[in-house]
Amino acid sequence: MSGSTEELRRGFEQDLAQIENLDAWKRIRDRWLARESGIITGQMKRLRELPKEERPAFGQSMNLLREFVEDRLGTTRAVMEREALEKSRRHIDVTRPGFPYALGTLHPITRLRQEIELIFVSLGFTVFDLPEVEQDYYNFEALNMPKNHPARDAQDTFYFDENLLLRTHCSSVQVHAMQSMKPPIRAVSTGKVYRRDPSDATHSPMFHQVDVLVVDEGITMGDLKGMLEVFLKRVFHPDIRMRLRPGFFPFVEPGAEVDISCIFCFGAGCRICKESGWIEILGAGMVHPKVLRMSGVDDTRYSGFAWGMGIDRVAILKHGVDDIRLFFENDVRFLKQF
Amino acid sequence: MKISIEWLRDYVDLPGDIAQLRQDLTMAGLVVASVEQANGAPVLEIEVTANRPDCLSYLGVAREIAALYRGHLRAIPLAKALRRDGERIPYSIEIHDPDLCPRYVGLLLDGIRVGPSPDWLQKRLQASGMRPVNNVVDITNYVLLEVGHPLHAFDFDRLRQGRIVVARARQGQRMVTLDGVERVLDGEMLLINDGGGPVAIAGIMGGRDSEINGATDKVLLECAYFTPASIRRTSKKLGLSTEASYRFERGADWNGPTTAIARACYLIRRLARGRIAGNCRDVYPSPIAPVEIELSGQRTESLLGVRLAPEFIESTLKRLYFKPVRKGKGRWLVQCPSHRADMELEADLIEEIARFHGYQHIPPTLPPGRVAGKLSASFAYESAVRNILIGLGYHETVNLSFAGDADIRRFPLREGGAPLEIRNPLTEDTQYLRGSLAPGLLRNARHNFNHDVRQLRIFEIGKVFCRDTEGAIVERNALGILGTGGFAGKNWLHTAGEYEFFHLKGVVTTLLSGLRCAGAEVTPASQIPWLSDSRRSALLVDGKCLGVLGALHPSLEEELKLKQPVFLAEIDLQSLCGHLFAPARYRPLPRFPAVERDLSVLVPMEISYGTLREGILARGIPELASIDLMDVYEGEQIPAGKAGITVRLTFLDREGTLTVDRVQSFSDNIRAFLQEEYGAAFR
Repeated sequence: MSGSTEELRRGFEQDLAQIENLDAWKRIRDRWLARESGIITGQMKRLRELPKEERPAFGQSMNLLREFVEDRLGTTRAVMEREALEKSRRHIDVTRPGFPYALGTLHPITRLRQEIELIFVSLGFTVFDLPEVEQDYYNFEALNMPKNHPARDAQDTFYFDENLLLRTHCSSVQVHAMQSMKPPIRAVSTGKVYRRDPSDATHSPMFHQVDVLVVDEGITMGDLKGMLEVFLKRVFHPDIRMRLRPGFFPFVEPGAEVDISCIFCFGAGCRICKESGWIEILGAGMVHPKVLRMSGVDDTRYSGFAWGMGIDRVAILKHGVDDIRLFFENDVRFLKQF
Repeated sequence: MKISIEWLRDYVDLPGDIAQLRQDLTMAGLVVASVEQANGAPVLEIEVTANRPDCLSYLGVAREIAALYRGHLRAIPLAKALRRDGERIPYSIEIHDPDLCPRYVGLLLDGIRVGPSPDWLQKRLQASGMRPVNNVVDITNYVLLEVGHPLHAFDFDRLRQGRIVVARARQGQRMVTLDGVERVLDGEMLLINDGGGPVAIAGIMGGRDSEINGATDKVLLECAYFTPASIRRTSKKLGLSTEASYRFERGADWNGPTTAIARACYLIRRLARGRIAGNCRDVYPSPIAPVEIELSGQRTESLLGVRLAPEFIESTLKRLYFKPVRKGKGRWLVQCPSHRADMELEADLIEEIARFHGYQHIPPTLPPGRVAGKLSASFAYESAVRNILIGLGYHETVNLSFAGDADIRRFPLREGGAPLEIRNPLTEDTQYLRGSLAPGLLRNARHNFNHDVRQLRIFEIGKVFCRDTEGAIVERNALGILGTGGFAGKNWLHTAGEYEFFHLKGVVTTLLSGLRCAGAEVTPASQIPWLSDSRRSALLVDGKCLGVLGALHPSLEEELKLKQPVFLAEIDLQSLCGHLFAPARYRPLPRFPAVERDLSVLVPMEISYGTLREGILARGIPELASIDLMDVYEGEQIPAGKAGITVRLTFLDREGTLTVDRVQSFSDNIRAFLQEEYGAAFR
């Protein structure tokens, strides 16, 4: 008996395989499931002709067969409907380019400024917005650069009058921070600075800086090195090496020039680092006791460190830009690369 | 400072490997920028920082090298005596202003044969970048380079009355210097005078009239110590910087003059046959006391973050010619050598110890945090503006903050401010600080047009400056936006269309809504001279004008040779930022459907859409949720003098479903109003 159910099942599958359209599907459905004349109905009618003891098994196998037929017909119908809907759609070439939405770009200097400010905030620094037109006092005097100080030579300055000038660095953050906060102080400021240098490939009368100040009890030169290392590794690369060597800035003592291992040759020596393996990147040092005192910080109790770095220079190094003027010409073919 | 290795070996033993010397000097603070060859021998280019004038000489550099390698400094040959019994030619030196000239040393030699210097001396001067002149002048230069102290040689026969008088100049006094330039002096400048008048500007340059020449027989050597600030002031004021002034203004060694003059005397006697005719005069009314600084070993350790043996501290200082005297455990009173003009405070000594300990041997540490970080107020709104504009396809630019006359003329300041003028500008077209971002953005447009980029969307956030009516300097954060050129792309999807006023307006209004700016509206504007009369608007926030936008005036478009319409917006970001980021309050979502009704009307041309819209809103129908302009018809199908517009009115009742009758009554109300008020006809 079961052999006969198996035969029926095979017969149904042969029918199913031949269905090509909805008409054929209906024909097959009626052939197997029609209430009066369907094959399965016909088989069920044979039930009474069977010996009593065979009836339950036969009935059960016929019910299973009916479920199987209904299920397979249903699936086949769903697939046919899906295909029919799809046929109304035109085929497209999905390899063509997508819609040209225009996306602008952040200026590379801004991107770097934001990156730097966020690094410092994560290290507990307060970011200061400071004026570009600054008083001589904040730019020079309070940073231990009195009038007639030779170090002023290195920073040829634009003046508006005796007292007002275009800031030559962001180091004024040191004075502003010490005037507005009590130690412990962690302050940073980024922005435009100005020096009276004519434009050429490596000079611009306007460029950008980031300046940093930390003042607290027991701040050491080791702390300066540690914080610098964290900062430089985040800005450049975790594998960067750095070195400090003596340098002179009137507002720090001891003062240091800071070099990083060349990011082009990894210290092996190349044209960019003049075969030295090192690139000079910033000036740093322990805050000069006079600078602390002038801003009302007790230099016998507190010490601190400060550093200043050119942002444009970092952008030049990171992106391999060969002319600082490109940053201010705003050629979109340049801007779009960032 | 150019240091020839051949010459340097006279004073100190050097390592065989010049690269090693270069490295060691650099790490000790004397940066060797380059090594070049001159006359077949290496010459170091050393960058001497402003605090180390003592290293502006061969002996100074040799001193550092000897300290670095624990080596020995060789003495230089000096004249044994600077006086003879029975002075043959009397002369005098008087210092009237010892505050500016604490010390003046003179020596008179005669029987001089002026002529060229020997070859070796000429070569050494040349290797260090100096031009040989004659043996006397060359010797003064040689000694300057060797010991670092400037000297001057006068032709004694040209000095009137055999007198030297060091005194401040008279206001307006004039003299001609060696370079042939007549200098006008002021009352704070120090002069070297003879019995008749000025013969040199002290510490800077000698006068023409007493210059050494081929016929000179007697030479008066001058070697003095001048007050640094005075020399610097005079040098700055006269715009005259010399090898001498460079050293004096940074601080020479007040004990240097006797050595320098003895060295010069030694060389002149050998190379120019001179003899002492007038004894050395050392006029030094109040000798300068050596600088003494207290040093604490504990303070040194705590500032550097390293442990240091007291013996190391002491031996380092001694190698550098300091004299530390123990004042108890780990404390010293340190006497500084007179050549170290940079010594003032304990920190200066600590730097010396750090230099010789080696910065590289200080272990990096991190200080305890103790404070929380905080972004600046501008970070949030500036980032938001940037992100939105970038999303809308605009590229950020950064322009130089300078402006020229033409910029000021074309883009006059609003609110009656005056342009901020730089007293010492670099060039004429950068003599002001910008009062507007527009000129910079237009320069960018021109630059890009010149490179065939004519579809441009750019913006800038930056400071603009002016003087207000009281003359005070105003510095404000501003936003400028520029759009120009169509949308047509070289793309199979055929984006197209011209950039026009409504694109810029859309950028501004989208930006404002993205910034959650409350109370902003864009309204027609009257006087903005650089914007086209027919296409300009003002941005009002709470009734206050915080910006303008529109098409660049056609006359400027022509003047700047732009050859296409350019649209500009400028917004006072600093004032705007107080109106941004309005707090968000949740409002329940409507539970009932909204109903839309389109209204097509013909109205007289002079009635603006804004007027219609305001009029409809003023009907005060609470169920009117929004009005949208759907279409505008102008031209042939419309009667002359009329404009056809279609607005979509959306009605919504938050409390219940709107019935057709109620919607109809709202719509009728509005229609009747438009008809009565504006003579509108309906289509």
